[in-house]
Amino acid sequence: MARYIIRRLLAAIPVLLGLSLVLFAYIRLLPGDPCVAILGQHRTVESCAKLREHLGLDLPLWQQYVNYLTQTLSGDFGNSVINALPFTQEFTVRFPGTLELTIGALIFAIGAGIPLGRLAARRVGGWADGLITGISLFGVSIPVFVLGLALAVIFGVALGWLPTQGRIDAHFRFDSITGFLLIDTLLAGRPDYFVDAVRHLILPSIALGSIPLAIITRITRASVIEVANEDYVRTARAKGLAGKKVDQRHVMRNAWLPVTTVIGLQVGSLLGGAVLTETVFVWNGVGRWVVDAIENHDYPIIQSTILVFAAFFLIVNLLVDIGYAFLNPRIRY
Amino acid sequence: MIMRGALVDPVMASAPSGLWRDALRRLRRNRLAMIGVACMTLFFAAAILAPVIAPYASNDMSGPSLSGPSAAHLFGTDLLGRDVFSRVLYGAQISLFVGVFAVVLALIIGTTFGAIAGGYGGRVDGIIMRATDVLLSIPTILLAIGIVTWLGQGLPQLVLAIAVGYAPVFARLLRGSLLALREADYVIAARTIGGSNSRILMRHMLPNALTPLIVQATLVLATAIIDIAGLGFLGLGPADPRTPEWGTMLVDARRFMQTAPHIVFFIGGAIVISAIGFNLLGDGLRESLDPKLKR
Amino acid sequence: MKHLRIGALLSAILVVAAACTGTPAKSSTTLVVALPGDIVRTDSMLTDDSNSSYVIQQVVEGLVGLAPGSTSEIVPVLATALPTVSKDGLTYTFKLREGVKFHDGTDFNAAAVVYNYERFRTVPDALQEYSYYTGAVFGGFGDASNLESATAVDDYTVKIKLRTVSSNFVLTQTLPVFGIQSPTALALGLADNSETDITKITGAQGGAGAMVGTGPFKFSSWVEGDSVEIVRNDTYWNTAAIAKLEAVIFKPVAEETQRVNGLADGTYDLVQVIAPADVATIAANTGLQAIDRGSSFNIFCLQMNQTYAPVSNPMIREAIAYAIDKESLIQTFYAGAADVAKNWMPMNVQYALDLELPTYDPAKAMELIAASGETDLTIDFWYPNDVTRPYMPDPKGLFEAISAQLEAVGFTVVAHDAKWRSGYLDQEAAGAYEMWLLGWTGDWAGPDNFLSTAFFHYVDGKPSPEFAYKNDKLDATMAAALAATSDAQAKKLWEKAQNLIRADLPTVPIANSKPQAGASIDVKGFVGSAGLNEYLNLVYLDRTGN
Repeated sequence: MARYIIRRLLAAIPVLLGLSLVLFAYIRLLPGDPCVAILGQHRTVESCAKLREHLGLDLPLWQQYVNYLTQTLSGDFGNSVINALPFTQEFTVRFPGTLELTIGALIFAIGAGIPLGRLAARRVGGWADGLITGISLFGVSIPVFVLGLALAVIFGVALGWLPTQGRIDAHFRFDSITGFLLIDTLLAGRPDYFVDAVRHLILPSIALGSIPLAIITRITRASVIEVANEDYVRTARAKGLAGKKVDQRHVMRNAWLPVTTVIGLQVGSLLGGAVLTETVFVWNGVGRWVVDAIENHDYPIIQSTILVFAAFFLIVNLLVDIGYAFLNPRIRY
Repeated sequence: MIMRGALVDPVMASAPSGLWRDALRRLRRNRLAMIGVACMTLFFAAAILAPVIAPYASNDMSGPSLSGPSAAHLFGTDLLGRDVFSRVLYGAQISLFVGVFAVVLALIIGTTFGAIAGGYGGRVDGIIMRATDVLLSIPTILLAIGIVTWLGQGLPQLVLAIAVGYAPVFARLLRGSLLALREADYVIAARTIGGSNSRILMRHMLPNALTPLIVQATLVLATAIIDIAGLGFLGLGPADPRTPEWGTMLVDARRFMQTAPHIVFFIGGAIVISAIGFNLLGDGLRESLDPKLKR
Repeated sequence: MKHLRIGALLSAILVVAAACTGTPAKSSTTLVVALPGDIVRTDSMLTDDSNSSYVIQQVVEGLVGLAPGSTSEIVPVLATALPTVSKDGLTYTFKLREGVKFHDGTDFNAAAVVYNYERFRTVPDALQEYSYYTGAVFGGFGDASNLESATAVDDYTVKIKLRTVSSNFVLTQTLPVFGIQSPTALALGLADNSETDITKITGAQGGAGAMVGTGPFKFSSWVEGDSVEIVRNDTYWNTAAIAKLEAVIFKPVAEETQRVNGLADGTYDLVQVIAPADVATIAANTGLQAIDRGSSFNIFCLQMNQTYAPVSNPMIREAIAYAIDKESLIQTFYAGAADVAKNWMPMNVQYALDLELPTYDPAKAMELIAASGETDLTIDFWYPNDVTRPYMPDPKGLFEAISAQLEAVGFTVVAHDAKWRSGYLDQEAAGAYEMWLLGWTGDWAGPDNFLSTAFFHYVDGKPSPEFAYKNDKLDATMAAALAATSDAQAKKLWEKAQNLIRADLPTVPIANSKPQAGASIDVKGFVGSAGLNEYLNLVYLDRTGN
């Protein structure tokens, strides 16, 4: 197992290197003078000089790349050209918001997707199956922002059931310790604030979770059908094991495997979808921030966000694969 | 934006040539796929026939501001009094144009690299696969955003931005098929009678690896349409704001979500129907092309 | 069955959460305000945007200010009275309030004022770009600054000496930019002009030494992109005006719909600017109120640069003025809440005349085009794609409507767009655009603020590249008007300047908008001002209505 993990970690290195090369080129190959392209109207002689120094524009390309790598590895991800604050400082404030939203979406997708998939598999061809297939089809076909807008208008504005903006009621004042509101509210000893944070999380999570929900439903349905037809399950049933036991012991344990993989692959699209969801729900996270950065052509921020998101994606997939190895006793590394 | 992981089983690539006729027959019996075909036809018809069907030009300020659906304006009018129905029809042209070109471009790029990787293997394969890993690790929408901010707004830029995101999917898919095919009997046979590498690749392997690509291309078209709207929604759509692009139109309509919700409904509906069309057809194609999935 | 249990759990959570509409009672001591955007910096001097000013004016006070609700009535704040002026019009003497302390405990006195004015005068080169108004008001920095010196006569008397007469001096000192901050805090925040790297000036970045003034509120925190919090100053010198609220939280919300939705669901108590189209929505909601700010204090124009043909041709510019249906634009985009512009400044500015500008007449426009002799009628037309401004609620929509009106009389419009902060303002100011949308919200109610500062000033003796509008006589007239020592003389010169501009029609004024605020009916005591000089210490929340 340890060897497997090390091998996987090593395999991630060339990908990250390749990515750094692409992002390095991204900033350098901007059309025109990099100072004008990157700093735009915020440039002064001094800020240009500083940028040139930071990018090492006078050095040979390979040396610039080495510099970029060393800077990145030492935690220097560049500064915003708008307010000149370091990327890391800004990112750490916002990432918990995105993570909370992403986890909320995953919980929704798994919590609803697996039961729905199993239900559909149980009644293949029935009306429930048809309905669930329809829902999952709708889930992958509706853009996150259209669903988000619709949810906000229906459940927020028209029915007034749930809040549609922000992560928590801004009237509440408490200390932000971890940045995760679900934790901070509890640390502050305010379960009522916690409930409010949960309520704020519901609609964005549903909007963002719709695609993974659809995919998890499909995969669960397919794998339950497939596993249920396997010999060992038939044998188990033939032996007279109760349906419930067979379900738990054999069917679900095996059906979980492909679902796990899909969850890993979905993390990338969740982070991408967060960009749109956060915009719709005024969610203070990395997604909304990167949209601002795009509007302001804040290239260092765009560059580093992509890098960090990609690294995050790779790490999650690594964890998923390790989890997969644990879950699946047939795989030995 | 979604499910970029190849969902198609490369094994089906080894199906025999009579498969297409069988597949078509099975597809026709697939009710869902036929609904997909209907949605898709609607979308194509809207796009191609827009100049004929549309009652107004896309920028004709022909009606009152924000009126509801009526005989004169089937889908009502927007803030500037433009006919929403006409704009939705012309919008299909944009989505179709960008979507199809992006998928074709992604196919060209992807299959070229996929063929090289799968056909030659070795170090080339390793490099190409790592490159696809790099691209696949970036969320498509972020990749597209990065490219559009970099190159500036415009339809060709949109095409490229979307294509780059999906090319790796096709590359991996084709490579997988080719690897499986390398061991196929007829390929081994061709090799033993002394066929050159590239000839075997072109004559024997590629044609047989096409089916999963077609299926995947159909599914990608669905997500491409959603991605295009997403970019428009973020303000990265076509350069001329008067262009009736669905995502751009949605941003404008969102401001009147309470006073004129029908506009959002019709535009959102157009996007969803088109995406559902391609998704259903893609699923149908996969099922009918994969003999394993007959149940 | 497991899936049923999960399902049940899930729906239970949903039901509980949805049922909990009775969230904790809304605080009646904390006010949440939605601003159109985030603040940029936390140092009044290093700020030139309206969002930062809006927050800073609650915390930092100047020697003089504007009376609540007014755009022109000057009142003493940290001075005990309006200054006395020497005969030559160059020296202003301010008597200061005694017993005032900054939020950090530092004494407010003549030394503190001198320290601040010295700071305005000696902004280092690298920081000048962040301090637009000190440069614009005093015409430059260091020796180029019209501010010659500030000296302490005694502990509570300050003399400010100018190099040339400037009739707008006292009015300009009401700008939040000229707020007086604690010298101790400025030094602590490296905002004492010693540090020239803006990133290291913690006083400007919300860190140590940020926003330490004498106002009714104290700065508490700034989470960039998310919120700014200020809290009550319990020891405010003006005991009659101690803030009723404990805290005010400002949230940046760029999207208009979200602002009004947030108002409806109680997320925000006060929305600084609502879209004209939402006024009706708010009026229809008994829990909400739209707050009228009275007369307009802004101008929206279709701008043109005379470097480019065909707009270099005066007949073409006149034709454009006739081609635009201002009334219909106001109906569609401002929901009627705007006046047709009669001048290049709003009518409540000193000396403003009704200039009888061209009204909608497409036939006349086509005649003028035919008579102009221009054959290439293609115009490059730019609009900003990421902002709304109080005077310009929907730039893209306005662009589309104006383009259609121009094309109706025979022009061909080529669309271009750019980002407001990174490109648009930069490019239009540099003269890169032929035609574009831009307006101005007044800083002070003098004609110079609109006609000269905003629009037709000369740069280094030449027309500014922005409009490439050459009229030496106008430049001389405005300079003379600004140096005028009597009101009658100033009036005569400013009226002459307006007529000179009218004759040339360098740009087309379209509308003076009246952006409204939206608020919950719980919000009481809010006094709106067309210039956004709104003081939240007067505001309180009365939740009993709910």
